[in-house]
Amino acid sequence: MNTETRGTPKASLLTRLGLDRFSALYLWGAFMIVFGLWKTDTFISSATFKLTLGENVPIGLLALAFLIPLATNSFDLSIGAMCSLSLVIATFLQNDAERSFNLPGGVTALIAVLVCSCVGFLSGFVVVKLRVNSFIATLGVSQLVTAIVLKVSDNRQITSAYSDTYLQWGRREVLGLPILFIYFMIIAVILWFILEHTPAGRYLFATGGNVDAARLAGVRTDRMIWGSLVASATLAGVAGILLSAKIGFFSSATGPGYLFPAIAAVFFGASQLSRRPNVWGTVLALYALAFGIKGLQLVVGAGSFWVEPLFQGTTLIIAVALASQQGVARIRRKRAA
Amino acid sequence: MGITLHIHSLSKTFPGQVALRDAALDIEEGEIHALVGQNGSGKSTLIKILAGFHQPDANHVVTMRGAEFEIGNAAAAHAAGIRFVHQDLGLVESVSTVENLALGFGYDTSFGKRIKWRSEAKRAKQLLADLGFDINVRAPVATLGAAERTGVAIARALQDLDAGVSIVVLDEPTAALPGADVDRLFDAVRRLKARGISVIFVSHHLEEVFEIADRVTVLRDGQVVGTKRTSELTMDLLIEMIVGRKVVARSADRAVSAATPPRFVVENLVGPGVNGLSFEVRPGEVLGVTGLTGSGRDTLVGLLSGATPRFDGRVTIDGDEIPNAQPRGAIKRGLAFVPVNRVRNGLLPTMSVRANLTIADVERNKKGWRLSHRDEKAESNDWVSRLSVVTAGTEVPIATLSGGNQQKVMMARSFRLSPKVLLVDEPTQGVDIGAKEEIHSFVDQAADNGAAVVVCSTDSSELARVCDRILVMYRGEVVETISRETGITAENIDRALLAGSTLAN
Repeated sequence: MNTETRGTPKASLLTRLGLDRFSALYLWGAFMIVFGLWKTDTFISSATFKLTLGENVPIGLLALAFLIPLATNSFDLSIGAMCSLSLVIATFLQNDAERSFNLPGGVTALIAVLVCSCVGFLSGFVVVKLRVNSFIATLGVSQLVTAIVLKVSDNRQITSAYSDTYLQWGRREVLGLPILFIYFMIIAVILWFILEHTPAGRYLFATGGNVDAARLAGVRTDRMIWGSLVASATLAGVAGILLSAKIGFFSSATGPGYLFPAIAAVFFGASQLSRRPNVWGTVLALYALAFGIKGLQLVVGAGSFWVEPLFQGTTLIIAVALASQQGVARIRRKRAA
Repeated sequence: MGITLHIHSLSKTFPGQVALRDAALDIEEGEIHALVGQNGSGKSTLIKILAGFHQPDANHVVTMRGAEFEIGNAAAAHAAGIRFVHQDLGLVESVSTVENLALGFGYDTSFGKRIKWRSEAKRAKQLLADLGFDINVRAPVATLGAAERTGVAIARALQDLDAGVSIVVLDEPTAALPGADVDRLFDAVRRLKARGISVIFVSHHLEEVFEIADRVTVLRDGQVVGTKRTSELTMDLLIEMIVGRKVVARSADRAVSAATPPRFVVENLVGPGVNGLSFEVRPGEVLGVTGLTGSGRDTLVGLLSGATPRFDGRVTIDGDEIPNAQPRGAIKRGLAFVPVNRVRNGLLPTMSVRANLTIADVERNKKGWRLSHRDEKAESNDWVSRLSVVTAGTEVPIATLSGGNQQKVMMARSFRLSPKVLLVDEPTQGVDIGAKEEIHSFVDQAADNGAAVVVCSTDSSELARVCDRILVMYRGEVVETISRETGITAENIDRALLAGSTLAN
């Protein structure tokens, strides 16, 4: 390495350490120190670490699902309901006393994910062909999906629905880490590669940047939007399967509640790193928030469910406000020049 | 005639850069005073100081009607009767003229805060009538024509005329206006002058400067080069003042053999604004298309490129038919186009210069499944230096570039495809004169490389500069063809444009 290439990054090192683009990382560090000192024995333990890494994976997958259509400037609000749908299909195909389906776990998982992809295809049709705003279209689809979930499940809670082998897929540890976390990282790497290192990723962001200009430059924008909605529904389906193998029971309340934390992680993450919706910013934001919540719950005590939304709401607003302050300052500087 | 505004030794230093150095400017009462210069010449800085957006350095002398005037203070500027109409007009398009006029001024209300819509509408109607516009003041502004919208913006700036408006600053008011609309705007400007109001007119269009301005002040590199009466100037002299060197307005001198088979063939094209248009372009030939707004000139590139669907007709490149309404299909068959209005149809504003440049063919730098950012950067750097794009690198968002440099990136996006046919629509709109000449030479290069080129433009001198043949359109049809034999000059084009409209009337 010659001196010239070393010299240039050095100048930008300070900006690279900037609080603006890495606020989630600093926040995470601060939580580790504060709660580490405060609740040393309970917070700094491998059990807490594993628990936090593993239990946030479904939210993380939903966040990645939300991220894909967001790159094209489309919203998919149906991912929470889609997660429930996948869960209900997997459960009732494996263990249903009345209708006596007893399909093997792997097959049910595949069917559940495929059904979710099909529903995503439907959302895409409504958005692209019927020209309904994605926000409204997916809000509508999420209600339809919720109706199906309630019809199938009769709003019952099903315990011990799955075989032990099936549960092992969600509960094992690999390399000392929860297997769910490993799945999450594999999916995150694949998605990162697609979004940042393939033409398809470029087309998605171009569609989101200016749909008319992208179309005139030869990008198949309709296909991008449609495809992104299928991808997000599929990923939400995968999240539902992993959730079933992890928690081991079915409740129709699981799923929709993950929508907000997932969206919060994406928007918080979009203020990080490359300053647009991005995979690693989302992962970083997800775990910064998760460890903060975990620490606070240990401090406040068990049963303190209110901590989570309070914390997520507050940090989301502060992080995005910090990022836009930077944006405002930049515009002021540009005008002055 | 009295001096309304007197500015002497006005400077503005930004950290690391002197944007304005010892500027002097006198605005006479009731004159139309043009302010011209390339991007970065200091004219925007001067306007922004006047508007109170920037504060100037100390040691300046500024008087207003002989009394001392605190420049760099928005409230003082307003109190002294200086009004601004900015390029983007600042109108709320979805609401009516009446409501736009009330923005920042409030409504006249009666009992219970009820808005007196009837009297408000009457007042709005009168304000617009004073400027020579007769419009429906209750219709959303978005439904008005471009000149009318500018009129609304001027009316809004002037509505408290009783407060004694003395100077109106029009910042590039004609940038987005087609020819006929410019005349209506100028009529409004002359009405202002007749009322004794001074107008500072900022424009890139030098023909307009000669048409409307009494005097013109030229800025270059932050300094005032001089102030001249337009009656004492010629176009060449003015350009020389602006760029600081002689610019050779070389007319195209390509010789395209009539024996060469045509490359781009359009047969019986029908679509919005176009009724059965046919023409052929040979490789290496530049065809110009002009016409007033609504003549078909403005919708032609959209129809040819597939941006808008055509109703009927065939478009072929070397015999290969271009599918209808598929920009992608057209690109795949060797057609590249630079659409009009780059902000709406061209730029991916949040993305980098590199991503903007390569978007029409990203696959080129693919290695296996992976997109090689390294190769793409190298290629983009190459284009940036070839087209001398002024940018802080290939990785900065394109929104940080000036309009002219953005347009060069748009040209590069198309050039990179090595097109068989290149269509450009108003390629130098809102572009300063230096970048304009460069963009014209890119068009020359494309033709030299064997492309069949079509340039749609309302800028007569531009057409005269680059074209080998010009079609003049009126009501969707070609009414005249200007060729080398009839003489390709800006005057001939202007005459044909006027003749076309009178002919058909």
